[in-house]
Amino acid sequence: MSATSEQTQSFGGVQARATADMNEPKIAIRKLDFYYGDHRALKDIELNLPERQVTGVIGPSGCGKSTLLRVLNRMYDLYPGQRATGEAMMDGQNIVSPDTDLNALRARVGMVFQKPTPFPMTIYENIAFGVKLHEKLTKSQMDERVEWSLTRGALWTEVKDRIHTSAMGLSGGQQQRLCIARTIAVRPEVILLDEPTSALDPISTLKIEELIDELKHDFTIAIVTHNMQQAARCADQVAFFYLGEMVEVAPAARLFTAPKEKRTQDYVTGRFG
Amino acid sequence: MSATTAIPGPAKDSTTALLLGRRRHRVNLIIKICCVTATVIGLLFLASILFTLLWRGVAGLSLTVFTTSTLPPGSHGGLLNAIIGTVIQTMLGAAIGTPIGLMVGTYLAEYAQGSQLGNAVRFVSDILLSAPSILVGLFVYQIIVSPFGGFSGIAGCLALALIVIPIIVRTTEDMLRLIPSTLREAVIGLGAPKWKMIVLICYRAAKDGIVTGILLAIARVSGETAPLLFTSLGNLNWSLSLTRPMASLPVTIYQYAGSAFQDWVDLAWAGALLITVAVLAVNIIARTLLRGGK
Amino acid sequence: MSEQSEHLVKSFDQDLKRLTDMLIRMGGIVENQVALAAEAIMDRNADAATRTVEEDVKVDALEREVEQYVIRMLALRQPMAADLRLVVAALKITGDLERIGDYAANVAKRSMVLAQFPAPYSLGGLAHMAGLVQAQLKSIIDALGTSDSDKAIEVWRSDRAVDNIYNTIFRELITYMMEDPRNITPCTHLLFIAKNLERIGDHTTNIAETIYYTVKGEVIPDVRPKGDTSAYAIVRPKE
Repeated sequence: MSATSEQTQSFGGVQARATADMNEPKIAIRKLDFYYGDHRALKDIELNLPERQVTGVIGPSGCGKSTLLRVLNRMYDLYPGQRATGEAMMDGQNIVSPDTDLNALRARVGMVFQKPTPFPMTIYENIAFGVKLHEKLTKSQMDERVEWSLTRGALWTEVKDRIHTSAMGLSGGQQQRLCIARTIAVRPEVILLDEPTSALDPISTLKIEELIDELKHDFTIAIVTHNMQQAARCADQVAFFYLGEMVEVAPAARLFTAPKEKRTQDYVTGRFG
Repeated sequence: MSATTAIPGPAKDSTTALLLGRRRHRVNLIIKICCVTATVIGLLFLASILFTLLWRGVAGLSLTVFTTSTLPPGSHGGLLNAIIGTVIQTMLGAAIGTPIGLMVGTYLAEYAQGSQLGNAVRFVSDILLSAPSILVGLFVYQIIVSPFGGFSGIAGCLALALIVIPIIVRTTEDMLRLIPSTLREAVIGLGAPKWKMIVLICYRAAKDGIVTGILLAIARVSGETAPLLFTSLGNLNWSLSLTRPMASLPVTIYQYAGSAFQDWVDLAWAGALLITVAVLAVNIIARTLLRGGK
Repeated sequence: MSEQSEHLVKSFDQDLKRLTDMLIRMGGIVENQVALAAEAIMDRNADAATRTVEEDVKVDALEREVEQYVIRMLALRQPMAADLRLVVAALKITGDLERIGDYAANVAKRSMVLAQFPAPYSLGGLAHMAGLVQAQLKSIIDALGTSDSDKAIEVWRSDRAVDNIYNTIFRELITYMMEDPRNITPCTHLLFIAKNLERIGDHTTNIAETIYYTVKGEVIPDVRPKGDTSAYAIVRPKE
């Protein structure tokens, strides 16, 4: 996260999305395979995540889209028997290589999950927890960081009077925005969102989508979603996964109006047998 | 009935349906009566125990019970040394057993995913959980009391700790396993090392359950007699030394209740009431904690 | 337009089918209108002219129906990809068909005025033009029913011929008007009739483009053939 990237904030999201140009890839995935034991869950994936743009990943359940996110911050390392081969290059470093420093990687590649996962502590501590893992800040610096990330997470105005109360008392949508703010607080370069709104009501969902639009000026974002309209609303480019393969990737406007592959066409129009 | 042909499924014969319905009703009634009877019998026994305890215990209760140590029959002794002994041994036993139990439980829940060692540890711990407590007493007698020449308070503490450990292992493991994997992944996803995840987040999330487990373990050991018979033995005199035999309520009750002296028997009842009330209190605290956490 | 596998929600397929059917029905009426209008001019058939104008009411009603249906489908089904293209195409095609209907009605009205004058000259060129436009319209409505992008592109290319005839008729009529001022009224009407037929051809081309996009998901890779050069035509009286 460089200083310059924080200054380039005010481009219209829709406008930026309408143009099909893709930025330079922040993460370039090549020949990526992933195995749950013997089961090959990702097959020969080739995909670029363009810098400071939103990549939407869609596909039926079990197609490997969440697995892809779990590869990108090495979450699979938690579980024995899961392994990845191939390349996922981020700034010249292969994410899946065994000598990657996992904690440093996860500070650069943050993740937000399907269900809100507030930690059982105050709102302030929730944010501070992640920051303390990677930085030594004074009290006032930390206060500033908490306010900054909650503001970026579109939550500050709602919680500023009660940041020292338990995060468990927030509503589902607020909890999810807290989780996003917590991820931002570490100042990652890439944010992975794994169905971030599937447990939320429509209004909270729209707030999160608005937030995503706002965040992409600073962060490279990948969002997995079951909701095609959501991918259409949020993403600059959309990748369609099916049975562990990446079938098609295209600018969102093209993928949802004129997909090239028959399988994509069938999926986005609801014709999957 | 021909109008219902549109509904798929076998045609309904009203007389058969009525018969079947009556039969179901009868079976239901029989089962219900059996269950209620069994419950009433159980409750009757329980109520009679509690009532007797209360009746006899309150009769034996007086201020001297709390202010005087055990004395020879007929000289108005109390239970002070036994109460203090029980508190000391229970607390020390819990203090020794809790950290060990916590760590073993943590190991099982967080580190031993499907490993052979983990399974073995869990198996042994479960056996220990259901083993007769007199075996624990005998064990400690063999390795502490016998070699170091004599009964002692510390041996009693160790015996109680041995009973505490498997209980806490089980509750800790269960409570940690209840934490959703997404919460763990959220912590790891921020770049936290595993130990920080366990200590800073998991323990906090499972706090209520773990504390409940500890309280229940304390309630359980505070009423144990068998392991103490072989270890701290019991002491009719005032003593706070851990290297000498130490009095405890259960053992005192055991010795007094069978004696021929009426005042000793009364004291035994009073002691029994004290233990019951204490255990009940701890249980209630533990349960409210558990419910409050949900 | 249905060469796809079935939709998971069957009623969606039915909705799409109904939409296509409505368009084809509308196309049929418009086709008939154009034929009646041509008959009204060529045979000076006042009855045909009246019927053309009357049919227009039906076309307008159908257009509104299709519009409502499209809006309903967009709101309730949120169609994607090919479905989305079809639904949006329906909206555009219904507009084009409605315009074609209007032009046909206008031709019919002018035919009634024209009937009061003696025929100033042979209507052979106009008849040929009307025939071409009718054939185009028929082809494009067939292409609509069968999702035939090749046929659509064929129609799209054939518009050039219509434009060429129009240019000829344009020059011809101006010459007539210069020869005898009494010809000006009938010839002006004829000029508008020719222009209307040419516009019908243009809207048919629009429909062809829409069908091609709906089927293929991309615009026709060529530049549109623009054959109408009458905008630049200068006809000078012969000295």
